[in-house]
Amino acid sequence: MQKIMIIEDDAVIRDELSLLLENEGYQAVTVQDFTDVPGQAREKQPDLILLDLGLPNKDGSLICGEIRRQSSVPIIFVTSRDSAIDEYRALSLGGDDYITKPYNIPVLLARVRAVLRRSTGTPEPDVMEGSGMKLNLAKGTVSAGGRTEELTRNELKILSYLLENKGKIVPRADLIDALWDSQIYIDDNTLSVNMTRLRTKLASLGLPGCIKTRRGMGYQL
Amino acid sequence: MTLREFLAERMRMYLFWGSFTAAAAVFLSATGTQTGVIVILLIVLTLAALTIQAMDFLKCRARLVELEHILNGLDKKYLFSECVTPAKTLYEKKLFEMFRRSGRSMIGAVSDAQSSQREYREYVESWVHEMKTPITAARLICRNVDGESRTKLSRELGQMEAHVERALFYARAESPERDIMIRPFSLEEIVSQAIQNHKELLIQGGVQIETEGLEGTVYTDKKWICFILGQLLQNSVRYRGNSPAITLSARHIGKQISLTVADNGIGIPAHELPRIFDRGFTGSNGRARGGSTGMGLYLCRKLAGFLEIQIQAESREGQGTAVTLAFPSKENLTKM
Repeated sequence: MQKIMIIEDDAVIRDELSLLLENEGYQAVTVQDFTDVPGQAREKQPDLILLDLGLPNKDGSLICGEIRRQSSVPIIFVTSRDSAIDEYRALSLGGDDYITKPYNIPVLLARVRAVLRRSTGTPEPDVMEGSGMKLNLAKGTVSAGGRTEELTRNELKILSYLLENKGKIVPRADLIDALWDSQIYIDDNTLSVNMTRLRTKLASLGLPGCIKTRRGMGYQL
Repeated sequence: MTLREFLAERMRMYLFWGSFTAAAAVFLSATGTQTGVIVILLIVLTLAALTIQAMDFLKCRARLVELEHILNGLDKKYLFSECVTPAKTLYEKKLFEMFRRSGRSMIGAVSDAQSSQREYREYVESWVHEMKTPITAARLICRNVDGESRTKLSRELGQMEAHVERALFYARAESPERDIMIRPFSLEEIVSQAIQNHKELLIQGGVQIETEGLEGTVYTDKKWICFILGQLLQNSVRYRGNSPAITLSARHIGKQISLTVADNGIGIPAHELPRIFDRGFTGSNGRARGGSTGMGLYLCRKLAGFLEIQIQAESREGQGTAVTLAFPSKENLTKM
């Protein structure tokens, strides 16, 4: 389990954020005492640090500099200051990414995933497997039982999102949300149309009814 | 100063001189001076007076031209009394002294006003940043709320964010040079960022988004242009019609790229269209719906000015509104 250290002075945000990260399958460590932050970072050995730049009595960018001197752990800045100068200064001090408050939660999680993936060197997977099918993201195809179907960009995104959340019920709103993040600006009706087409294709591969509709709740793979 | 103005001002003195000379001539004639002598005397006197007046006029005009030149060369005109060349006459000296005294009190008042404005702006900026922490916390807590309340709550939070953002950019517009960083961005990147920022609002409004021909690079500040686009998207959602759709399309005209945000909303009445960018103008649509501040488009035009973007709106009632942003070409971009 990857360990994420939260350095944030606002108690509510700190608690909610660690809850959120734990729900996402990370181990969250929080800093409560801001006297020796670099020392705590050294002791806890996190895989990623979320660092608030507006800490009491101490400038977050200085802390970043001190942590940097002893380790190369990836650091994402979280700040409410978003002037061009702040951003430039923070990144020049060795931050890996920069997120401004109030952040959009899916965006925050996506950045965390991206930075962790970069630092551990695992590339974005090309192929996803599950529920008896094999989804090739690079080629845009899905195969099962020796047969292969080509998917459109929208269908590919829908299927990969359902595969990522295999077994869970995915509400339509969440699915639409995820598609918008990939620049697919789809509305409720278009989603239904795409879903029908995707199901037809899966049925022709011998997987009819593998995407279940949970009435009033969403879809489930 | 024209010759006519000069003469008009001195007319009373000339009349006085004239009548005095005439009286003297009558007196001389009555006391037995020859007419010829009187005529010669009058000619000489008149010539002398004319010469003196002509010299006065030229000197006065030259001095005024000089002072005007100094004034025109000044960036801050109220510093005139401090920058003027030394007085040439006693009268000027006394006058300049008085101007200087009045000028100093004005400079004091101006710099007081400037510093209190700066302090206010700094306060607004720090207030905005402080506001962002509780909004973030509320957003995180909002996740734990279920169903309809969550949607409603997050819509309200979105509204709060939008208001706070406008306040921030209003304060920033006072000293744009501190925040603007012009760099090349792909139009696609900018548009998708702006849509991303308003995803919640657009999805909840049931808006269909189309993008067309967003190739090309523009030279601008990402944050500022995203703010401007955000205001346009917010307006399109707010004044939407049935089955709302927004099209973001780009056009290349020579080296210039222009981006159009077009909706199929309720549109703006023709007689209100020229005023939509005015500060505080809400229009009949805004008043009918309530909650309009009349600040969004005003800020758009103001910020667009700093980015050297030309902003234009077209609209037809009942059919929709299209706002076009014409980006400066790289060559035309003056250094910020």
